[in-house]
Amino acid sequence: MKTLKGAGAAQPLLYDCGFAREIYALEGGAQLKRCMQCGVCAVSCPSRQEMDYTPRRLFSLIRAGRKEEVLDANTIWVCTSCCTCRVRCPRGIDILGLMHELQFYYLRSWFKVHSRASFQQAFWQELRERGRIGEAGVMLRCWLKEGGLTGAVLKSLEMKGTGLRLLRRGRLRLIPPKIEGLTGLNKIIDKALAQQGYAE
Amino acid sequence: MAAKIGVYLCSGCGIGEVLDPAGLLQVAEDDRRVALVRESDFFCGQDAGLIQGDVTDRVVDAVVLAACSPRFYVKVFDYGPGLPVVRVNLREQVAWCHESGSEDTQMLAEDALRMALARAGGSAVPEPFRLENPSRAILVVGGGLAGLTAALEAARAAYRVILVERENSLGGWLRNVYRCAPLRPPYAESAENPFHLLSREVESHPGIVVYRGASIERTAGGPGQFDVTVRQGERLLKERVGSIIVATGAGAYDPAKLTRLKNLAYGTSPNIIVSSKFEELALRGGGRVARPSDGREVRRAAFIQCAGSRDPEHLPYCSAACCVETLKQAQYLLEPDPDCTVFIYYRDLRANGQYEHFYKKVQEEGAVFIQGEVVHVADRGGSLSVEADDLSLGCRSRVEGLDLVVLATGMIPDVAGGGPEQGALKLDYRQGPELPALKYGFPDSHFICFPYETRRTGIYAAGSVREPMDLVTTLEDAAGAALKAIQCVEMTARGQAVHPRALDVSYPEFNMSRCTQCKRCTEECPFGAINEDAGSNPLPQITRCRRCGTCLGACPERIVSFKDYSVALISSMIKAIEVPDGDEEKLRVLVFACENDAYPALDLAGAAGLKYNAWVRIIPLRCLGSLNPVWIADAMSRGIDGVLLMGCRQGEDYQCHFINGSELARTRIMNVSETLDRMGLEAGRIKMVEVEIIDYTKIPAILDGFADELAALGPNPLKGF
Amino acid sequence: MRYSFYPGCSMEGTAVAYCKSLVAAAWALGLYLEVIPDWNCCGATVAPGLAGSYTSRVLAARNLALAASRGLDVLVGCSACYLALSGANRRFQEDALFRIRAKEALAEGGLRYDGNLRVRQVLEVIAHDVGLDKVRERVRQPLTGLYVAGYVGCQTVRAVPWSFDDPEKPQFLEKLIEALGAVAVPFPAKVHCCGGSRAAAAPGEALGYVKNILEAAESAGAALVITPCPMCQFNLEVNQLRINQTCGGSFNLPVLFFTQLICVAFGLAPAAGLKHCLVPPYRALSRFRP
Repeated sequence: MKTLKGAGAAQPLLYDCGFAREIYALEGGAQLKRCMQCGVCAVSCPSRQEMDYTPRRLFSLIRAGRKEEVLDANTIWVCTSCCTCRVRCPRGIDILGLMHELQFYYLRSWFKVHSRASFQQAFWQELRERGRIGEAGVMLRCWLKEGGLTGAVLKSLEMKGTGLRLLRRGRLRLIPPKIEGLTGLNKIIDKALAQQGYAE
Repeated sequence: MAAKIGVYLCSGCGIGEVLDPAGLLQVAEDDRRVALVRESDFFCGQDAGLIQGDVTDRVVDAVVLAACSPRFYVKVFDYGPGLPVVRVNLREQVAWCHESGSEDTQMLAEDALRMALARAGGSAVPEPFRLENPSRAILVVGGGLAGLTAALEAARAAYRVILVERENSLGGWLRNVYRCAPLRPPYAESAENPFHLLSREVESHPGIVVYRGASIERTAGGPGQFDVTVRQGERLLKERVGSIIVATGAGAYDPAKLTRLKNLAYGTSPNIIVSSKFEELALRGGGRVARPSDGREVRRAAFIQCAGSRDPEHLPYCSAACCVETLKQAQYLLEPDPDCTVFIYYRDLRANGQYEHFYKKVQEEGAVFIQGEVVHVADRGGSLSVEADDLSLGCRSRVEGLDLVVLATGMIPDVAGGGPEQGALKLDYRQGPELPALKYGFPDSHFICFPYETRRTGIYAAGSVREPMDLVTTLEDAAGAALKAIQCVEMTARGQAVHPRALDVSYPEFNMSRCTQCKRCTEECPFGAINEDAGSNPLPQITRCRRCGTCLGACPERIVSFKDYSVALISSMIKAIEVPDGDEEKLRVLVFACENDAYPALDLAGAAGLKYNAWVRIIPLRCLGSLNPVWIADAMSRGIDGVLLMGCRQGEDYQCHFINGSELARTRIMNVSETLDRMGLEAGRIKMVEVEIIDYTKIPAILDGFADELAALGPNPLKGF
Repeated sequence: MRYSFYPGCSMEGTAVAYCKSLVAAAWALGLYLEVIPDWNCCGATVAPGLAGSYTSRVLAARNLALAASRGLDVLVGCSACYLALSGANRRFQEDALFRIRAKEALAEGGLRYDGNLRVRQVLEVIAHDVGLDKVRERVRQPLTGLYVAGYVGCQTVRAVPWSFDDPEKPQFLEKLIEALGAVAVPFPAKVHCCGGSRAAAAPGEALGYVKNILEAAESAGAALVITPCPMCQFNLEVNQLRINQTCGGSFNLPVLFFTQLICVAFGLAPAAGLKHCLVPPYRALSRFRP
C-alpha cells in the first residue's frame, strides 16, 4: 500500500473541497458523501493487497481533494467488479459503480490513456464497431494498443497455446458477427454521451 | 408454622431415571410434619389438579414440591398468598448434573428434600406491610425536557403530580436552544424546539401542580409517605407524595477549564467558541449565525468534538449527546446555504440509535467528517485554521480559511442544582441527604437491569441527571421513570416490594428487646432504609426496604427476621443435612448461592448437562449480603467440610442486584476466618467466588476445584462431635 | 413458460457450451426461450469505465427495448450481463430522471422502453418458477456419488442481493447439485472472486485468485466444479492450464456450467456440449453417460 506524499513530512495535507465537489457531481457520485470511513469495503476487497489505496482510503483522499493521488492510484483499475463491497457497505454505496465512474472521469478529463485501460478501450472499440464482443478480437486490439504490431504478434505467440486450444474446442470465433442495428446502437450511444456533455 | 406438609415427588423430566423414589419417600415419612406424600411424573401438567385439590381441601398447609427448579412453572405451582410452596430442585441441580443410580446422588436428593422440609416447617405466612393512607401523588423535581415529559406521562395516567422547578420558567436547558435534533421517525429532520408546547401543556394540566422558582428544603419518610417541604421564596409548603422523579438535568462543562487544553486555543480568539455559545448565536439570529468578532455570516466552520470529553484530565466520559448536537448545528449552516463548508473533527462519531439516520442526512448535506485528534487551532487575523492528526488520511492534515471554530463540550450532572451528591432532595435519611453516586456524580443504579432505580427506593432518576443522554433517550427515560414511579406507589399501597423482589410481601421484623444499638444494620443497608432514633435504635422504614436481607446478615444479635427467611430457618436447613463420618471419605460442601445470578447459573449448568461432584448442598440466599456468619459456624460445627459462597461481581461495575451484597459478604467471611482459626480450622474451608449467569460453564470447575482443595485439607476435625 | 432470452457475447464464443446446455436444460424443464433479435453487448463491467455508467446503462437498455413488445421476462445466463441489464432496468423503474433521459437516447435509435420488463437470472428462475422438486423429477441419470464443488462466483448472487439467495453465503447452487443426485462438497471459496475481467486485461495478476479457488475445490474432494458464470468458467479453466504450465501446478479439475451438469443428469448428455471443455470431464462423468 502506498504512503501518502507529504505524510509524516513537515507540511500537513491541506483540505480542498473542489475536487470532491467534481466527483460528487458524477453519475452516482453524491453517494460518496455518505461514506463514514468504516473500512468494510477495504477488508472485503479481494484485490486489497494489490491496491495502492483501498476504497476507503481513496474516498478519504477524494474528500481531502487529493486529485493527483486519487487518479494516480491503481485502485480503480484493480477492482474486479466482484460487488462484495457493494453488498456489504452499511451505507449502501454502489462502490463498484463509483470505481467505474472514476475510470471514466480519468480517461475523459485527464490522460485519455492509462496503461491499464487498454483492455477497456479495446472492448469499447469492438462494441462500437460490431455491437457485440468477440473475445479474440478484443484481445488482439488490446495487445495492439499495449505493444503495437510487434507487441501484438509477440503476445499472440505467447498466448498461442490457449488460443489454439479454445479454437480447437470451438470456443473462439475469429470473425464475430456484426449486429444489424449497429448504426442505431451507435446513434443511441452518441446521444447518451452527448446528453452528458461528452462526445467521442 | 406449617404442621401439615404435603410432599409431592415428581419423577418426570429424567428425575425418575436417576433417583430411587423409595429413598425419598422414606425421608418424607420420617418427618412428623408431613401429612401426605404423592408421586407423579407430571405435576406441572395432567396431575396439577392433585396438589390444588389437597390445598383446596385443606389437607395440607404447605407444599414441598420435589421437581424442577423454583425458577420454572411459578404460576402453575402458585396456590395464593397464604400457602407456602417450597421447591426441591431435583431436576436441574440433581438429576441433570449427577450420575444416575449412584449412592451419592441419592444422598444429595434426600438431603435436598430434608432441607426443604426444614424450610417449609419453619416458615410462617408473610402478611403484607400496608400503610394506613398511602399517597399516590408523584413529585417531579426539575422542569426540563425530562421533568416535563415525566410529569405529563404520570398526569395522563391520572396520577396527581407536583412539579418543582428551580427557575422562574419551565424548559430547562431547552430554553437556550434554537432547534432540536430529530425527535421522531424517520430521525432525519431536525425538530422544532418542543419546550413551549410542553410547558404550556404542563401548566394547563389540571392534575399537575407547578412550583416555579422553588427548591426542596427537606424530604422525609419513604415510598407512599414522602413528606416533602418545598420552599418558594419565603413560603414553605408541605406536600405528601408516594414517589419521586429526579430530573434535574445536566449543565455544560465549564468552558473556562478548556483554556487548559492548549491545542484548542480556547480563549485566544472570539471566533473559537463552545457549542452552547453557538446555539445562543443561532437562537439570537433566528438560525443565522454571525461571527462574534465582526458579525459576518459564517461560510466556513469547523466543529471539534470531545472538547474536554473522554479526557482523564477533564470529563473522562462520553456525554452521548454532543455528536448529535453538532450534527444539528452543522445543519444550521448547511441548510440555508449548501455551499457553506463545514468540517467536523471527531474521535468516534456517536450518533446513537436512530440518530444514525440523522448522521447520514448531514453527511449527504455535505459536511466533511474528519476522524482524528486536533493538534492545533489558530487564528491569524480573523482566518482560523485547524491542524489534526487525520486518521482517515493517515497523516497530518490542515484546514484553512475558517470563519468559526466550535468546540463541542460535554455535560455534567445537575451542577446548578447542587448535583445529586449535594442532595437536591435534602433527604432526611440516616445515611445522608444525597442520592448515592457511583461515578462522576451520576446516581448509582444497577444500570443494566434497573436503570431508573436509585439507591433510594421510590426515587427515580430520569434524563441527563441519570447519565448523559440525547433528547430521544431523554423522552424515553422520562416515560420509563414515570412508569417506575407509578409502579412504586401502587406496589407500596399493596405492601409489596418494588424491584428486584417485586411482589414480595415479606419484610424484615426487628426484635428490639435484644438490640444492642450496634448500628450495623443502619449503616450497611444499601438503600438507607433504616433510620435511627436519638438512642441509636434502628427505625426501619419498611416501604423503603427492598427485602434483600442485608440487615439480617449484619445483625450479630440475630434480631432481624422475615416470616419466611431468617437466621434460625437457614440454620435449621443446615442442620437437616446428614453428614457422614469422616472415615466414609464423603465430603460435604455447603454452597450459599445468590438467588439472582449464581442460582440460575447452577440451573443452567444442569440444563446443559454439565456434571459436578455430588458432595454439594445448595442453599439459595436472597442476596449474599444476607449471609449471617452464624451459618458458617453452624455448618462447621455440624462437620461440613467447607462452605462456598457464590455471589455477584463486586466493584465499580458490580452486578449485585442489591448494590453491595457480595462485597459485604466478603468482609463478613474475612472476620469469620479469625474465628475459624480459633476453632482450629483452616481458613481455606471458606471460599467466595463471583459467578455471573453466563458463567454456568465454569460451574463444574468451581465446585470440583473447591472439593479438591477440601480433600487436600482432609476431613473437618469437628465431624461426629 | 416463455421467456425472452438474452445470451450475451460470451455465449457465442468461449461460453458456447453454456448456451447449448442452457437451452436444452430449459426446454427439458418446460422453459421456452425466445432469443432477443439483434441483441447487442450489454457493456458488462467494462463499458461504464469507458463511457460512463449512464451511457453504459442506456446501451444495455437497448436490449430491453428490443424485448419490450413481447412483454416476457428477460432470462439471462451470464452474470455480468445480469448485473448490467438488471441495473439498467432498475434505473428505468426507480429513477424518473434517468427514465426521461434514457428514453430520449433510445428514441435516437428508433426504440422505446418504459421499464415494463423483469430481468431474471437462470438460477433465480429455477428457484422460483421451476422449483427443485421439478428438477428432481426430471432427473433420469442421478449423479450418485459424484462430488461437485458449486462455485457461485460474485455477481450472480450480488447483482441483486437476496433476489433468490444470500449474497455472502449462497445455498441454492448446492441444493441444485443435491437435487441432481450428486454430492455438494463443502466449499467455502464458492463466492471468492476469480479475478473477473482482470484475467483478460492483466492475465498474470489473476492467477492467484484462481489458484486459491481450485485448491479449495480440490481439498474439498470435488471431482469437478460447476458455475453459473461464463467469466468464472473461463478463468478457472484457462488459468488452470496456465498455472500448470507456468507455476508447476498439477490441477486437473473439469469446470462445467451448471446447465451442462443438469443436461447430463437429465440424460441429455449429447446436448451438454462437453466437447467444448478444455479440461476433459469424461473421467469424472464416465459412470453417468449412457
